[in-house]
Amino acid sequence: MNPFILIMISSTIILGTLIVMVSSHWLLIWIGFEMNMLAVIPMLMKRFNPRAMEASTKYFLTQATASMLLMLAIIINLLYSGQWTLTNMLDPTASTIMTLALSMKLGLSPFHFWVPEVTQGIPLSSGLILLTWQKLAPLSVLYQISPSINLDILLTISMLSIMVGGWGGLNQTQLRKILAYSSIAHMGWMTAILAYNPTMTLLNLVLYILMTTTTFMLFMYNSSTTTLSLSHSWNKTPLITASILAMMLSLGGLPPLTGFIPKWMIIQELTKNDSIIMPTLMAITALLNLYFYMRLAYSTSLTMFPSTNNMKIKWQFTSTKQMPCLAPMIVISTLALPLAPMLSVLN
Amino acid sequence: MMTYIVLILSTIFVVSFVGFSSKPSPIYGGLGLIIGGGVGCGIVMSYGGSFLGLMVFLIYLGGMLVVFGYTTAMATEQYPEVWVSNKVVLGSFIFGLVMEVVFVLCVLSGDGFEVLFEFSSMGDWVVYDVGDSGVVSKEAVGVAALYSYGAWLVVVTGWSLLIGVVVVMEVTRGN
Repeated sequence: MNPFILIMISSTIILGTLIVMVSSHWLLIWIGFEMNMLAVIPMLMKRFNPRAMEASTKYFLTQATASMLLMLAIIINLLYSGQWTLTNMLDPTASTIMTLALSMKLGLSPFHFWVPEVTQGIPLSSGLILLTWQKLAPLSVLYQISPSINLDILLTISMLSIMVGGWGGLNQTQLRKILAYSSIAHMGWMTAILAYNPTMTLLNLVLYILMTTTTFMLFMYNSSTTTLSLSHSWNKTPLITASILAMMLSLGGLPPLTGFIPKWMIIQELTKNDSIIMPTLMAITALLNLYFYMRLAYSTSLTMFPSTNNMKIKWQFTSTKQMPCLAPMIVISTLALPLAPMLSVLN
Repeated sequence: MMTYIVLILSTIFVVSFVGFSSKPSPIYGGLGLIIGGGVGCGIVMSYGGSFLGLMVFLIYLGGMLVVFGYTTAMATEQYPEVWVSNKVVLGSFIFGLVMEVVFVLCVLSGDGFEVLFEFSSMGDWVVYDVGDSGVVSKEAVGVAALYSYGAWLVVVTGWSLLIGVVVVMEVTRGN
């Protein structure tokens, strides 16, 4: 991509999200979503192949539909309350439609079908943007309207997302699809706690972005998009292989690792609200997630698949790829659990 | 007289939307959109939004739909599907019309019904009365606002349009 175009487009992606996050006027929020959606399309189509085009078309269509629903909700809200301010309590109809629109933008469960399809069709670096930065804007609006969201709809959506994120990722061999399903499940956890304690949503979002970024960077370091190519990484970059093991377990939310913090906090917060069945179900379905992460970790770092002798001397060639801040990112996204008491700052 | 005009325009509006959503060839879908857009501007004008209707008609239909027309004309096929050439298209068109008629009859005859939203009356959807100054029409006030305290909004929309063009160029230029 031309450097000028790249600067223009990436600054517009950032600008769109920032406009959504800082605006208090619904029209500007909608404009921010539109800017963001338009500007991210060329990012998804970095390589001009049919898969990328199909993926960006799917992304464009779902996001445009979601934007239209958002506009409908805004207009209904205007009709009943007569104002454009975001801080105003929403009309129930407007709130329902807006929740559906934002969950379509986030890729939550009844509207999740585009996430694996789009992520699979685009390069890893664009997938990183799609699964991290693109979640910020819709989640910030959900965070701001969280007092007036219909709880039944929100909890149904998030429970479905956690289940779909778990079951969909089973039996996948493509890394980008696995990460897409993992994103759906994490979004489910974030929206499940949204009505009870929105700060936990932000905490989960921050840690999710951190872990997903690190995982994508590890995959990009090997340029691997399949389990098979990842399983060959032991003779190319042994250290990366070991950190993929830790990263996968952290993404799955295993106790001594960073990924356990949000799960722990969310389950605790839900039980404090006398909700027992919901966190039990969530924890059980999170095991499905953990299963496919472990399968990935197993084939990457716990087995050695048969290979030719020529493959085994690949470690001699040093990789020329440079991933910025990879080492500290790995450390933070696996070993930050002892920092959990610092969360009292958030309250 | 006014009510009849709005009734006729609304009928054409709905029929054109049913027309293009019953999926004929893109060129006829575009035609349905153009008719729907134009008639929609007429409805807005009939409700008193003359400036808004005119602007949307001139800029949206005059400018953008010409481009849509060109692109669909370039992508047109030799034997395009019209509404009567295919049973599925014709069937969905008629089904859409029947659904609309049943819907209107339900609203008009009974005391409305509720599917997520209460359809009980033909509410006024077009013009939101925010209180006139009485001397200057509020549309003129709105345009003036864009040039004074709404200047940054114009900058944001201008940048969005520019980005739209850049994205289209970037996506279609190929390798």
